[in-house]
Amino acid sequence: MVIDMCVHPGFLKEICGDEERVLFRRKHFGLYKQSVWPVELFIKQLDAAGIDKAVLIPEDLTVRCGDSIVSNEEIKTLCELMPDRAVGFASVDPNRADASEVLEDAFTRLGLAGLVLNPSTQRFYPGDEKLAPLYECCIRHDKPLILQMGVSLQPDAPAKYAKPLLCEDVLLSYPQLRVCVSHFGWPWVTDVAALLLKYENLYADTAMLYYDSPKEFMHYVFEEQMGRHWADRTLHSKILFGSGYPRIEQKRMRQAVESLELRDSTKQKILGDNARQFLYGEAE
Amino acid sequence: MVKIKHIQVMTDDHFQFVRISEQVKEAVAESGIKNGMLFVVTAHTTTGITVNEGLSCLESDMQTTLENLVPDDYPYVHAHWLPSYGRTSANATGHLRAMLTGNHCVFPIEDGKILFGAAQEIYFAEFDGPQNRRITIEVMGE
Repeated sequence: MVIDMCVHPGFLKEICGDEERVLFRRKHFGLYKQSVWPVELFIKQLDAAGIDKAVLIPEDLTVRCGDSIVSNEEIKTLCELMPDRAVGFASVDPNRADASEVLEDAFTRLGLAGLVLNPSTQRFYPGDEKLAPLYECCIRHDKPLILQMGVSLQPDAPAKYAKPLLCEDVLLSYPQLRVCVSHFGWPWVTDVAALLLKYENLYADTAMLYYDSPKEFMHYVFEEQMGRHWADRTLHSKILFGSGYPRIEQKRMRQAVESLELRDSTKQKILGDNARQFLYGEAE
Repeated sequence: MVKIKHIQVMTDDHFQFVRISEQVKEAVAESGIKNGMLFVVTAHTTTGITVNEGLSCLESDMQTTLENLVPDDYPYVHAHWLPSYGRTSANATGHLRAMLTGNHCVFPIEDGKILFGAAQEIYFAEFDGPQNRRITIEVMGE
């Protein structure tokens, strides 16, 4: 099974009934010319890329921007439209007074599969004490946490909040919480590799394309920024496939991962087996 | 008289030839124009319109030829961050293959019929799918 850990669904037609909302998404997600298309086409794109399931990422920017890019309710709507293909995550702005209640509702009433937070756009440091109730809620419900780390391609998103070593406080305080550093924390990928070595509960996804073609960039990260054998020898159970769709097409990101000179068993883990472990705590 | 019709195609794959002659014939019939010219034009820069014999073997050969002329892996300059889009472009192959097919085809119309040769099929060529695509069919005449 191939699982894409990083899909931003804000331009799917079924949740784009309001044109103002589409404009808000283009502005705050920073994808300025993105078209709107239906779930039917999204499923064709998944099929063409050979992807079985997509983790749908919402983003609650209520405090700073007055709205969410994609809400938890909209994620629920999309999951109902494609129950076999979508895994819906929840987002909550940690600066909201009712953040804990929103997350509890997302896990209990909406049945969402995990929490995703974006320190740069939501403006918080991962180790801040105010996050404790959210992390504890994830543990209480056995739900994983995605932290969007590294340089954000969204506007008005300072990188100072998203340096991967800031995750260490969370990893130390909550060893039972499964955490994924999204975008491999680029450009600080060796910091992420160092943390992956130490913390059993930490994962990182491949949703990163900042320079060059997907294949060229993936080779640069995994063969030049990091040692070319690190993934095969040590990190094979810690890396999750993610595309970052629609900022880049899933077909291209999958081909890029497939093109790495890794063992087939490592690729299989990266493309899906590790995601199942992260999402559901399933043993290898 | 000029009549214009737009048709939509939702493609299924990254590289795909879609036969559209029947849809074009319908548009010509609906136009009511008996004698004139037909233009079929794609609205996208990573798709093409081309005419060839409607055989699956030739479709395979056309795909292989375009992939050989425009290889998937090459240091295309287009592969870079585009600030105005907010994304990295990665579809140079689609643009270049589209350049080779061109964006349109033209046929004469006589007595309300398209003057196809015996083997001619109109193809919409997808070079960066799956996508929703728009094609314009324009009929000019009397």
